[in-house]
Amino acid sequence: MKTLVKIALSAALIASLSNAGEQFAMSDADRAMYAEMLESNPADMNIAHGGELLEKNCGGSAGLAKFLHVSQKDLPNYIAGFPRYLKDFNMVVGIDQVLQAAMHENGKKPFTLQSKDMFEMSAYVKSLANDVPINIDINANQQMKDAYALGEKTFNTNRGKRGLSCLSCHSTDVIGSVLRTQPLPALGANGNASVGTWPAYRMTKSSMSTLQHRMQGCMQNALLEVIPLGSPEMVGMEVYLGHQAKGAKMAIPGLKR
Amino acid sequence: MKKGLTSTLLLGISLFAADYSSVIESPNASKIIEKDLLAPAKVFTMPDGCITTDPKAIARGKYIFHNLNGEDSKGPLPEGLSQVDEKGKPKQYGNCVACHNIEEAKGAGNIGPDLTKYHENMMATKVRDNQFVYQKISDARIDNPTTHMTINQTTGLFTPREICDIASYIVSPK
Ligand code: HEC
Ligand code: HEC
Repeated sequence: MKTLVKIALSAALIASLSNAGEQFAMSDADRAMYAEMLESNPADMNIAHGGELLEKNCGGSAGLAKFLHVSQKDLPNYIAGFPRYLKDFNMVVGIDQVLQAAMHENGKKPFTLQSKDMFEMSAYVKSLANDVPINIDINANQQMKDAYALGEKTFNTNRGKRGLSCLSCHSTDVIGSVLRTQPLPALGANGNASVGTWPAYRMTKSSMSTLQHRMQGCMQNALLEVIPLGSPEMVGMEVYLGHQAKGAKMAIPGLKR
Repeated sequence: MKKGLTSTLLLGISLFAADYSSVIESPNASKIIEKDLLAPAKVFTMPDGCITTDPKAIARGKYIFHNLNGEDSKGPLPEGLSQVDEKGKPKQYGNCVACHNIEEAKGAGNIGPDLTKYHENMMATKVRDNQFVYQKISDARIDNPTTHMTINQTTGLFTPREICDIASYIVSPK
C-alpha cells in the first residue's frame, strides 16, 4: 500500500518531467538514477535513525502519544493533522516543535529545528502516518484560522530583490510551465501534495530535507530574505499548503529532483 | 453565569497546563518580511540615449539576460560589467532566460512569453516601443498589475543604465 502511493506520486513526477518537451525533459541518466532510488530511497536510512532518536529522547511513539494526550492507536491519524493548535503551547505548532518540547519534558536538551537529528526524528514521526490522508482542520479554532490566513498572506507577499512571491511561481496559472528546465510543481492534492511528501530525499542535494527547509530554498533562489524555521509565518505556510493537500495520503520519505 | 464558568475553566487551563512556548523555537519573521516588502508599482521614463546599437551595451544586456549571478555565469564577462556588487558579493544578473526563450537560449523557461524575433515581431511592427520594454523590465506591474515577472528597478536590483543595456539587447535585430 505504502509503495503503491509512492509509485503513483513518482509516476506523476516522471510524467511532469518528461511531458514538458525534449528541451526540458529529465536526462536519461537522471531518469535511471530516479528509478533506482525509487526502489530504495536513501532517506530510509535517515528515518531509521530518526526512530532510534525518538526512542532515546522521547520514549518512542508510546512516549510521544502520551505527551500529545492521544492513544497510540490514534497517533498516526493525529500526526496527519499537523500543524495543530495545542493548548499546552498556546500556539499552532509543527511536529518538530512538539518534539522539542517532548525532549525538554524528558530532561533532554532539545535538538535545534535545523539540526540533522531533528530532521531525522521528525521525519520518522511523520512517517508513522504513512498511508493516512492528510486531515488538517483549518476551522478547528480561531488559532488555526489565523495560522492559515498568515500562511496564505506570507505565500502571496511579493518581496526581495526581484519582487517575487511564492505565488509568482506556484499559482495555478503557471503550474506546469517551465522555469529554466524545471517544471513548476503543483503543491496541492492534485499535484504532488507537498505536505504529504516531505521530508524527502533531494537528489540534487544528496540529502534529506524538510518542507520548511525546502521553502527556505525557494526563498534563497528567488532572492527573498530567508525566514527562520518554526516562525509563525513558516508554520502558517505549512498549514496553508497542508489544507491544499488535504485528503492526499502521507507518503514519507518523498523523492525529489 | 455561563460566561463566568467558562472563564474560570479557561483560567484553570492556563494555570495548570504546561506552557512550552519558551522551550521551543518560534522566532518571529514579521520584521524580516516587513523590511523585504516590494514597494508600490512605479513609472520609469527612459533616460536620454537609453536604447543603443552599441555592441558593448548589447553584450552586457545579453549577459545579464542569460545569467543568474556573478558566481554562476558562463562565458567571458563583457566590458563594463562587474561580477561583484558594491559589497563584494556576487552581483545578481537577470536570469531572464529562466522564464523567457530568446535566440541562443540554453534551457529556457516558458513562464513568460518567447522573446525570439522580438525585433521583427514586436518592434518593426510597432506593437511595442522602446519605452514599453524599458518600463516592462523596470516594473512590469504598470502594464500588468498581477504579473508573474520579476521587478527589476523598483527593487533597486538594476540601475537605469543596466535596464537600458538589457532593453537594447532585446529590441536589437539578432
Ligand atoms: C522563481 C520561481 C519560484 C519562486 C518565487 C518560489 N518557488 Fe517554490 N519551487 C520552484 C521550482 C522550480 C520548484 C521545483 C524545483 C525542483 O524541481 O527541484 C519549487 C518547489 C517548491 C516546493 C517543493 C514542491 C515539492 O513537493 O516537490 C515547495 C514546497 C515550494 N517550492 C514552496 C515555495 C514557497 C513557500 C515559496 C515562497 C517563499 C516559493 N516556493 C517560491 C520555483 C519557485
Ligand atoms: C519569474 C518569471 C520571469 C522572469 C524571471 C522574467 N520575466 Fe519577463 N515576463 C514574465 C511574464 C509572465 C511576462 C508576461 C506577463 C507580463 O507581461 O507581465 C513577461 C513579460 C516580459 C516582456 C514583455 C513582452 C511583450 O512584449 O509583451 C519583456 C520584454 C520581458 N518580460 C523581459 C524580461 C527581462 C529582460 C527579464 C530579466 C531581467 C525578465 N523578463 C525576467 C515572466 C518573467
